[in-house]
Amino acid sequence: MLILQAERDALLKPLLAVTGIVERRHTLPILSNVLIEKKAGVVSFLATDLEIQITTASPDSLPGEDFRLTTSAKKLQDILRAIPDSTVTLDSQDGGRLVLKAGKSRFNLQTLPADDFPFVAPNGAAESTFSLPQRDLKRLLSQVQFAMAVQDIRYYLNGLLLQTEGDQVRLVSTDGHRLAFAAASHDGDLPKTEVILPRKTILELYKLLQDSDELIQIELLNNQVRFSFGSTVIISKVVDGKFPDYNRVIPLDNDRLFLIERLTFLHALQRAAILANEKFRGVRLVLKNGAMSILCTNSEQEEAEEELEIAYDGGDLEIGFNINYLLDVLTNLPADTLQLAFGDAGRSALFTIPGNSNFKYIVMPMRI
Amino acid sequence: MTASARKIIHVDCDAFYASVEMRDHPEWRDIALAIGGRPETRGVIATCNYLARQYGIHSAMASATALRLCPQLLIVRPDMARYRAASQQIHAIYQAFTERIEPLSLDEAYLDVSGVTLCQGSATRMATAIRTRIREEVGITASAGIAPNKFLAKVASDWNKPDGQFVVRPQDVAAFVAALPVARFFGVGKVTAARLKALGIHHGADLAAADPLLLTQEFGRFGERLHQLAHGIDKREVEPERDRKSVSVEETYARDLPDLAACRAELPELLAQLKSRISRAGEPPLRALVVKVKFADFSQTTVEHAASTLMLDAFGRLLETGYARGQGRAVRLLGLGVRLGNSDARQLEFEWEED
Repeated sequence: MLILQAERDALLKPLLAVTGIVERRHTLPILSNVLIEKKAGVVSFLATDLEIQITTASPDSLPGEDFRLTTSAKKLQDILRAIPDSTVTLDSQDGGRLVLKAGKSRFNLQTLPADDFPFVAPNGAAESTFSLPQRDLKRLLSQVQFAMAVQDIRYYLNGLLLQTEGDQVRLVSTDGHRLAFAAASHDGDLPKTEVILPRKTILELYKLLQDSDELIQIELLNNQVRFSFGSTVIISKVVDGKFPDYNRVIPLDNDRLFLIERLTFLHALQRAAILANEKFRGVRLVLKNGAMSILCTNSEQEEAEEELEIAYDGGDLEIGFNINYLLDVLTNLPADTLQLAFGDAGRSALFTIPGNSNFKYIVMPMRI
Repeated sequence: MTASARKIIHVDCDAFYASVEMRDHPEWRDIALAIGGRPETRGVIATCNYLARQYGIHSAMASATALRLCPQLLIVRPDMARYRAASQQIHAIYQAFTERIEPLSLDEAYLDVSGVTLCQGSATRMATAIRTRIREEVGITASAGIAPNKFLAKVASDWNKPDGQFVVRPQDVAAFVAALPVARFFGVGKVTAARLKALGIHHGADLAAADPLLLTQEFGRFGERLHQLAHGIDKREVEPERDRKSVSVEETYARDLPDLAACRAELPELLAQLKSRISRAGEPPLRALVVKVKFADFSQTTVEHAASTLMLDAFGRLLETGYARGQGRAVRLLGLGVRLGNSDARQLEFEWEED
């Protein structure tokens, strides 16, 4: 029985939006599948890994009867990608088979019953709801997501703190060596609430956000967060745990300050990094009044040295860092000029944007 | 150094703690003697003399079990201060022969005597001289193995134990290794030995003839190493300043810990001990945290995770994982440890962890 006829891209685009979270190999075979559902002319796609669930709908209304089925997300995606952009038909056949035809191609696929598909059930009413333009959230995420921990034993660091208070939304990430903070205003007036979003959710959300003025609605539910934007809805579990108090690590008395052009600094570091130790990635910054030297040495005793003129008169300081931690922030900040504030060689450095209290990056030194 | 074969001596004192006790208490020389914890406090045997070994008693055996095997066994508490003093005396004797000494414990060390001209350059005679001086100056006996590498030297020191020595000359290496049962190979315990036997590998000759690819598939990098050892190859140097690779503490409990909560309650105490050990080691940089759990049936498991700071809650989560592997069995011993990292560069951490 013919159940669907559509242009390839009308299916492929929404499918790709949900398949990013599908685990290749899962103990529950149905989790490798995508749920395709047609209701009142709208075809929607849904995938989950039981932590995150993403649904998105095809933009066009399509004729034909309602149906629900699940089939391999990976195979369907590979097929739709491989065939030319043309009309695709889906036939539902006896024995739970799904036949996809396009031009002279024909694929006979297995399905699993849609009723067996595990949903992430929405959990309670929203405690806080607010909206902001997708572009703003995408920008905020770009400023902090790189500092999230990866598979840290402190599981609550493998994610991002989302905090709301009044009309402010704050995002904080840290791996214990550096911390990124970004804040923005939104349309709401909210009580102070905070949740930790899993790393995977953040990476997926970042991928799906458009650089547009269209709003994204964020609802903080009990143990869940729901993001709704365009025709996409992401429901994610939150990480149960206590995120460290970021205020405690923001240095207040770093008095060796100077301004520096972001790209000048970035390019000098990128050059020096070529000879940074492959394992420790150390870089030494040597400050003198009026100048900063950037020094890298690798295990073969090769050396790179860069010198930048800076408007600085705070006296001599030599301090080491993991160069990747500096490159990360310089690559991801949308500002032309940065302020750097140092204490001493054993204390954290603070990176800010002049005249903007909505961004902070704190990085601990490395003893080299 | 030239390409000529190295000369390595492995010296291993015989029943060290027990020997020191018998030296100081002549009345204990002819009775079954063990050094260890008391059976009523779940003690474990650290060492026993050769008379006690005839009853099947061995180190790491529960004291209670040892007493069942030999009811007249005398178990005395260890006196580490005296053992350490004896160890220092022995170390001074080694130093008369070479600077290249790698102590493995209080009573065991590798010496590299390649190029040493004492005793006309004969490592065999140096080993005899060392053992004689240990007997005369320290009052205990030691055994020695002499070989071109550490692996064979260690096997050889066991060959004529106690109070004996054995030489594997470079030209005898191939025949010696070929006849060696796999269980004598460094790192091969009961489980690996059984797996090797299942593959039809019983002796060094079988190992040497085995397909290195198969060994690697079965045992990973260890398989590769076994294959090398079976060809008499062990390039490990005698490392005088042996780098510490880990620091750990453990506790055997007088009563089994019945559940996870009881285990968890012991963590702060263990962590405090671990912290003090680490500070005595000079606060080396950390690479990973390790939790060891030994269950009532003596099976044990370790769980580890990369981390660069000590964290109580992280140890707690490792404990959960380890405890779960016991499927509800009570816990006899808990250990906390850290693996140490390289000290060339050290990334500093934010200080917001609990203390």
